[in-house]
Amino acid sequence: MATSDASGIAETVGRLLAPLCAASGALVLAGFFFPTLVGEAVTGPAWLTVALVFFSSGLCYIALLPYSEDSTGPAAADVFLRVRRTNVRRAVREFLTQHEPTILAFPVLVFAAFFALQMAFPTRTTSAVDAAAATVLTAGGPLFLAAVFLSVCYCLFLLVGPWGDIKLGGPDTEPSYTYPTYFTLVFTAGIAAGLVFWGPTEALFHYDQPPPYVGAPAQSVAAINGALVYTLFHWGISAWSAYAVIGVPIAYFAFTRGAPLRVSTVLAPVLGVDGLDSVWAKIVDTLAVFATIGGIATSVALVSEQFLAGINYQWDVAAGEIGPVLVVGGLTLIFVVSSATGIHRGIRRIAGLNVVLFGLFALLIVAVGPRSFILQRGTQAVGTYALEFVPLSLHMGGQWVAEWTVWNWSWWFSWAPFAGLFVAALSRGRRVRTVVFTSVVATSAATIVWFLLLGGTSLFIQHTGQADILAAIAQRGGSEAVVGFPLLSSLPLGQLLLFLFLALIIVFMATSADTSTLVVSVLATRRGVAPSATHIVFWGVFQGAVAVSVLLVGGAETLQALAVLTGGPFAVISLVAAGGLTVTWLRNERGHTSLVRRAVRKLPDIQTHHDVDPPEEK
Amino acid sequence: MANVPEDPSDRTLEDVFYPADRIPFVEWDELSGAKPTVVLTGGVALLAFVTGLSNLSQASLALNGPLTAVVDLPLAVVRFGGVLFAFILGIVTVGLQRRKRLAWRVAVVVALGLVLLPLATFQPTDIPLLVMTLVTYPLLVRNRHRFDQSLDLSPIQIASLSAIFGVILYGTVGAYGLRGQFLELDSWGDAVYYVVVTIATVGYGDITPVTAEARWFSLSIILFGTGAFTVAVGALIGPAIESRMATAFGVMTASDLTLLEDHVVVLGYGDVTASLLEELGEETAVVVVTPDEETVASLKDEGVNLLTGDPTDEDVLRDARVGTASGVVVGSNDDARDVLAVIATKNVNPDIRTVAAATDQKHVEKFRAVGADEVINPRSIGGRLLGQSVLGRGSTESLLTGIGTDNGDPDNSE
Repeated sequence: MATSDASGIAETVGRLLAPLCAASGALVLAGFFFPTLVGEAVTGPAWLTVALVFFSSGLCYIALLPYSEDSTGPAAADVFLRVRRTNVRRAVREFLTQHEPTILAFPVLVFAAFFALQMAFPTRTTSAVDAAAATVLTAGGPLFLAAVFLSVCYCLFLLVGPWGDIKLGGPDTEPSYTYPTYFTLVFTAGIAAGLVFWGPTEALFHYDQPPPYVGAPAQSVAAINGALVYTLFHWGISAWSAYAVIGVPIAYFAFTRGAPLRVSTVLAPVLGVDGLDSVWAKIVDTLAVFATIGGIATSVALVSEQFLAGINYQWDVAAGEIGPVLVVGGLTLIFVVSSATGIHRGIRRIAGLNVVLFGLFALLIVAVGPRSFILQRGTQAVGTYALEFVPLSLHMGGQWVAEWTVWNWSWWFSWAPFAGLFVAALSRGRRVRTVVFTSVVATSAATIVWFLLLGGTSLFIQHTGQADILAAIAQRGGSEAVVGFPLLSSLPLGQLLLFLFLALIIVFMATSADTSTLVVSVLATRRGVAPSATHIVFWGVFQGAVAVSVLLVGGAETLQALAVLTGGPFAVISLVAAGGLTVTWLRNERGHTSLVRRAVRKLPDIQTHHDVDPPEEK
Repeated sequence: MANVPEDPSDRTLEDVFYPADRIPFVEWDELSGAKPTVVLTGGVALLAFVTGLSNLSQASLALNGPLTAVVDLPLAVVRFGGVLFAFILGIVTVGLQRRKRLAWRVAVVVALGLVLLPLATFQPTDIPLLVMTLVTYPLLVRNRHRFDQSLDLSPIQIASLSAIFGVILYGTVGAYGLRGQFLELDSWGDAVYYVVVTIATVGYGDITPVTAEARWFSLSIILFGTGAFTVAVGALIGPAIESRMATAFGVMTASDLTLLEDHVVVLGYGDVTASLLEELGEETAVVVVTPDEETVASLKDEGVNLLTGDPTDEDVLRDARVGTASGVVVGSNDDARDVLAVIATKNVNPDIRTVAAATDQKHVEKFRAVGADEVINPRSIGGRLLGQSVLGRGSTESLLTGIGTDNGDPDNSE
């Protein structure tokens, strides 16, 4: 098969991982079932190590399980023999020639330059980037709001309009993925551990400091609804539309016009399919690689820090300096293995596990959380969200909107190139309507339910005074990472929920990072050349290395701001893409029927049947 | 498989995103059969044991689950329930493995009890057990028809079991009736405790008869009770030991084969079957049925299941689970007995795919007449091969592939 050269190694590693996973799993289970007995023997940092070993060995083992039972790769000994025979210089030259030189060089150089500057002038670099970010987000605010709002309108039009009928790849193409797999991959790739951290947190922040649009006094009953509505707004349909607007044009031009499967394909209506070798296309691809690596690496670094901050808060385990590096190392191992084994093994299986854990956690919250409060407040919030969607989308409330809404939109747009390209790659053989429905409606429905469950629970706990989560945040200097821990431990089954919560953080981060690694490898290799396992491992390790450097050198927030800034160009590009796609389809795709017309056509049929069919008519 | 690119980096994006064949996410069929049900029940038993131990190890156990609002469960039941249920479920798992109907019935009841326990305590440690039981339950219900074997107790087993039951009943009622003549025997619970301790020949001596009447009564319990207990142990454990011994000699008993499904049954052992076993060995489970003790001895180390018996006997075929097999190969050197074996097979399971190897060309039609789906005459194939080969029409390899597809053999695609 495709990765058969690596499967010999994979088999050997898998054989080592199985006992490792079983041993650490047994220890974790023993600690879970007999906390008093085992707790005395094993101390805090050791638990952290055991848990990390358990998560990473388990997930790697799942990823490495063979593709199908009868596919036999070469034995490990043969692979090692081949490795010994490989000429290093030739291998490196081959590796370099398979890459697009600018796309390989630019991100590497930019990250190196960033870290050099950060080490030499830490304060000046930070303040420069912060100033740039503040300027862009304030001045460019209207642009982001407009781009997101137009994206939502465009997605809505694709969903009900005639072009929803267009099948990507021609009418005879069959989809390569079953629908559950398709949804799982799109959902888990598009959203990372931010979902887990901000789920209980964001509504609480808006409750503490109500947005100017809501205008309610802080921590009041009126602020509850406003907080939930704004949370839904920031994570709902608007956010996911950014992916679809980038993904649908790429998919259309790649599968029906023979354009390459790259981010720059969104420019096909402007440059023409033959013009995709131009400088502009290279700039877009390079920017996409930079945005993806910057976005994922800072996410990995921040998630690791937050993961440890939470553990420190809950169990008083001081991980020290080396802790975050270990967590990043474990995460990097997981997503590199998952990505190198490919979509059909690692990426898909871990994504499936992710969705199962996600559902299980949500079910447990439903079981132990304040159901009637969530139901009542949730329906009210969803109603307000639907009714006031347009004013919310167009509201430019000065500083607050720049710091929250615009920052958020820019962050989603900076993720759009890789998530959009991935959505496009999976969508061959699906109708545009299905693509938009899955990547916008279904995914945002899942996030909306999640944010209502967790946000509602944390608001309930805070408002009724069962636990003072806001005080815990203030005590930690405003870190959003700790919120989940006082919240969950104040619920019944707290220990189990906390364990699942930690697992979800790791798995959600891994499912986004493995996809991004694959996408970056696809973008960085030359057209027509698919990335080999070596490329994927290189880019995965590169992302991990950037994350580690961020942790060691400092400046995670600065690099994040830098990555977010790339959202600006992609907001513009998405508008260009949507416009170009519309022009192309106006010219070439006629004769499709819209959902509305289909519904209207059904109506008179029923009427003729009932009214205009008298038996005496001759 | 044939044209793997020489340089791995030559593969295209097609390979990365779009495989040639769609692979299902989970093989639902493989995960929902009778075998996974047995494995999951065993897992539930193990988890119930660990959870029960965990509950026991806690100094105090609070009952604050949703169930306590509805019914009032005594704390002792909840504390020890997990471990006790685990022991019962462990025995039941063995029964389920043998596809016993009774085991299935007990499992359905015990699993319900295991759902109630976590709902009473609602400890975080109980939730995995709850989730696993809730996953197992639908599987148990779904596969209810697969557990259809009756317990098949021998008369002596039934007699000894009912004797024990009778003695316990007699002893309990009698001891309670004579409670005035016993030291420290006051309640029904004491009576049961006294009888069991006496029958098991433990006799702590904390409850003692003080009158002559009570002593005679106790003696009767000791005589009948220990007698029944000893006989029951022999009757119940003996067959298990016998079966173990038989397996050690390379012979399977019917109960060892009950786990098999979608296997291939080979009736008779002849020249053809030796190479057949090599071909099948890796892919599916094989049961060889042969009346010949020497063949059995010689095949003992080959890793195939052996059943000593007459392949023309329907009962033997049922033991080999022809009913759930994926196919039957009839291939001894005796065509006459093979025809009888085909008839017997079709009597047991008319729908099963039956392939017969005819030793003599003129018997091919007779095999067809009695219902063999496929009849192969190894000699004529060999002869044709020789002829083709000597005339130089293609290599022997390609001829072999051609023959494979002619006969519609699905396992021979490569």
